[in-house]
Amino acid sequence: MSESRRKVVVVPCSGIGKTYGTVSREAAFELTENLRPETTQVVPLSLLVLGDEASRAAVAGNPAVTIDGCKLACATKMVKESGGKILQDYAVLDVYRRYKQFKPQGIAELNEGGQKLAGALAGEIASLVDGLDPDGEGEQNA
Amino acid sequence: MTEYLETTVDKFIFRVATDRVYSREGLWALAEGSRVRIGLTDFLQQRSGDIAFAEVEPVGTSLSAGDEVAAIETIKVNVILPSPIGGRVVEANPSMATSPEVVNQDPYGQGWLAVIEADAWGTDQGKLLSPQAYLEVMRGEAEEEARKL
Repeated sequence: MSESRRKVVVVPCSGIGKTYGTVSREAAFELTENLRPETTQVVPLSLLVLGDEASRAAVAGNPAVTIDGCKLACATKMVKESGGKILQDYAVLDVYRRYKQFKPQGIAELNEGGQKLAGALAGEIASLVDGLDPDGEGEQNA
Repeated sequence: MTEYLETTVDKFIFRVATDRVYSREGLWALAEGSRVRIGLTDFLQQRSGDIAFAEVEPVGTSLSAGDEVAAIETIKVNVILPSPIGGRVVEANPSMATSPEVVNQDPYGQGWLAVIEADAWGTDQGKLLSPQAYLEVMRGEAEEEARKL
């Protein structure tokens, strides 16, 4: 893999005290720390909201994946506002509908279902990232 | 066109359709000849949260008023929904299996739950609340919840 290859930016929900927000962050961490650390990076939504220059530059200069915890879709809106190009926007509720067996509960600490749901979502995003053209602008390979 | 009563509690706006009657538990009943269409109120869907899954009792099921007619799982809670009337389920909204979020999007229209062939609509109807009466019940519950925040 080229050193200069751009990393896909992952922006999860920043909602505190909400199970689905926690699922979004756990999925982002699982992806960027364990599954695809070489090709993905987390950009915290809170830094984008605060106008952090490095975070805004990362979003503006790399393909982005957003994970929203509710229908307010703050992550997706903020990435768009920051000039980012969204490859795929995920809503945890929609992901849960695909994995009904993984019922998420808990906030600071997810239950087993929540952890598995986060893992499943991370796996989906990893597959998406794997399909990208490393030389392209974020387009998926045919 | 359906008209609505409306009330605002805290930052939330709740609507109550004026063309039907209501149970205290937050289900509406709209007569269509001998059949009655039922669904969740705007207040109940907002209070429950975004719906992940909804299951309606199958067609042919006989119910008494108060029996479980459907169950929803939302991002916050699991809710058992008691039928506002007695009768037999003759239609279940197919959207509940594929896109239950329609309840959140259009609770008084496309988000209906079931159609029931009523056993005694006249009697059941008399036990249900008018739109104005339900608005008052709902407002009380909403204000109580707002005080807890």
